[in-house]
Amino acid sequence: MTLSGPVVLIGLPLAMSVVLQVLRRWTAIMAFLATITALFGGMLVLSTPFLDRLLSLGAINIIVEEPFYILGRVVAVEPVDRVPLIFIFFTAAGLFVIAWRLLPHSNFFPTGLMMVAMLAGAIMVKQVVYTALLIEIAAVLAVFPLYEPVGKRCSGGSSRGGARYIAYITLALPGLMITQLLLELFAIFPNNTGLLQGATVLLGLSFAILLGAVPFQAWLSTVATDGSPPVVTFLFTVNMGAAWFMLLAYLESYTWLGGQAIFSSLFTTVGLLMMVIGGSLAAAQRRLGRLIGYATLVDNGAMFMALGTRQVAGIALTVMMLMARPLALGLMTMGLDGLKRLSGGDGSTANNDAGLINLEGAGWRAPWRAVAFVVGGIAMAGFPLSLNFAARWGLYRVISETSLFQTVLALMGCTGVMMGVIGVTRTLFAPLPKATAPERTVMQPNTIGSGNREDLVVLIQIMILIGATLALGIFPGAVSQIALHMAEGFTFF
Amino acid sequence: MNPFNVWLDQASAIASTPAAWAIFVAGAGIYLINGWRIRFLILIAQYFFVGILFTRIFDTRPEMALLKILVGWLICGAFLISARVRANAIARALARKASEVPEGSARTDARRPFQWAANLPFRILSLIVMTLVAYLAAEKYPLPFISAELALACFILIILAVLFIGTEENDVMVVGVGVLNLLAALDIFYSAQDPGLLVTGLLVMVNLLVGLAISYLAAVEVAE
Repeated sequence: MTLSGPVVLIGLPLAMSVVLQVLRRWTAIMAFLATITALFGGMLVLSTPFLDRLLSLGAINIIVEEPFYILGRVVAVEPVDRVPLIFIFFTAAGLFVIAWRLLPHSNFFPTGLMMVAMLAGAIMVKQVVYTALLIEIAAVLAVFPLYEPVGKRCSGGSSRGGARYIAYITLALPGLMITQLLLELFAIFPNNTGLLQGATVLLGLSFAILLGAVPFQAWLSTVATDGSPPVVTFLFTVNMGAAWFMLLAYLESYTWLGGQAIFSSLFTTVGLLMMVIGGSLAAAQRRLGRLIGYATLVDNGAMFMALGTRQVAGIALTVMMLMARPLALGLMTMGLDGLKRLSGGDGSTANNDAGLINLEGAGWRAPWRAVAFVVGGIAMAGFPLSLNFAARWGLYRVISETSLFQTVLALMGCTGVMMGVIGVTRTLFAPLPKATAPERTVMQPNTIGSGNREDLVVLIQIMILIGATLALGIFPGAVSQIALHMAEGFTFF
Repeated sequence: MNPFNVWLDQASAIASTPAAWAIFVAGAGIYLINGWRIRFLILIAQYFFVGILFTRIFDTRPEMALLKILVGWLICGAFLISARVRANAIARALARKASEVPEGSARTDARRPFQWAANLPFRILSLIVMTLVAYLAAEKYPLPFISAELALACFILIILAVLFIGTEENDVMVVGVGVLNLLAALDIFYSAQDPGLLVTGLLVMVNLLVGLAISYLAAVEVAE
């Protein structure tokens, strides 16, 4: 039997997600199968250039580059799709490993695979309208594990973030779908440039909403505050990464879009606004979830600024920041998850009147979780030693060639995130308040308590992630080469 | 075209403008009345009127319009279940808090199915203003390739979506209705241009998923 690549890349995760629904009782098996499936998808795309057209797996032959037709629509793996697909599959695999111990019996594994299938389909399908609908489906699917009551973590908290997320993503949908219509009309009436202008505005607006650009950033912090941390990381890396790669693909496909006069200044202004506003909000933030949301806002802003430079180096920097994000956010997630459990859940009695998790001295009770959060925070802020530092440093150098003022503002945005991380660190490692005996009993958490009761697997995962962050921070060459190689594939500048 | 389709086309041509305004009245009902049973009935009616508009688009394939109505009613069913779970959980929590009403009879909401929403004058005012905006927008900016009554319905649905999403942020289910209204507007507009099976199927799937996700969020918010 011969299968085309898109059938395997979409069909296998979907089929496996059905199997995983049956196996939800066994988290380890579920996590293993989800990881293997995602890794297989990534390896399949990665091995494409080395295959002699056909990959033979016993009775099944896979031709990765063969297009698949569904009701006359083409779904195909093109060379420019390879890095986005590899990023989606490998990042998802990594997050499934992280979620293994954090989300027992969770719906995240099957739903995550379904989301991966939808996003892979969105990357491979060649019409904007189907891409938009598949992105929407992936976004709506994310809501189920995002607010799932897992293990001893009780529910009953606010699900406002989920509703807001669905609302924002749906607001982005009409723009993308109508763009397709306008482009079809333009093919019939090539002299009507108003159609192109309309398409530009709609496409810009839709991507601004999808990527949480100012003033559509409200969902970022809300989702990060009340959603399940590993799923939030999935949203901010895999889903958002797919949206970024889609933007790059559209700029490549529709050269008139990148050629618009306002393109550069618009991206730079939006990016700068996101960095300044995100940095300002992060600096004063003491809620861990919101800090993650604002750090992501600043990171997205930096990526917009990199694109606004209209240079190949800018695209390479965007891709590099995207690749650095899973490591940093993965660490922050592991930290946040542990620290949330320390207070007994999202809406527990350990929270004070303002809804803040009582973090004072929490770092002494769960040191590895606290360290993970802080190291991840430093990496998200783009400070040394992290892969993001290399990318941000490159960004400052590129921007400073045209405007020193913008460079200083961008740097201030990153400093704002760092100040937020420092503030949280001070709280986490503050001297423990003298507790009465009953309070001490309450403070003994359900799942993690003092450092020596930490889950060994989680501990190893945290150490591996910290090691990888530091190693890539010291030697960013390998990633930057991949990013540069991919950037050279884009010719719209 | 078979005789039934011809008759349906003529009937829907007559009914489409009233249906557009009926969608508005239904939306206004959801916005102004704060009782989940009544809102559920209104939403069922709203989907019926949306279905009438779809018969204008799928004039040779009325089964597609029927599909849209059925999908809408399925979503209404999911909303009903969530609303019941939610109302019961809230009532039980209130009863426990007060420690007066016994556990079994904690259905205070059932005794008061109808009540006006809070800030009623503000809601009426914003509804009037937004209706004017929708009407003027439909007059001034006619949407391409669709008839005037369909354009009016699209604008009304968008305006309702903006109202629901923008002003009812704390009520997950009303936000959900807003999202579904937005999708209905998009569905009417886009299906008129491209009534292809793939787009229609994907839009149906998106609608169903949004309905399920919102129902899930509403139920999980009060889960114990």
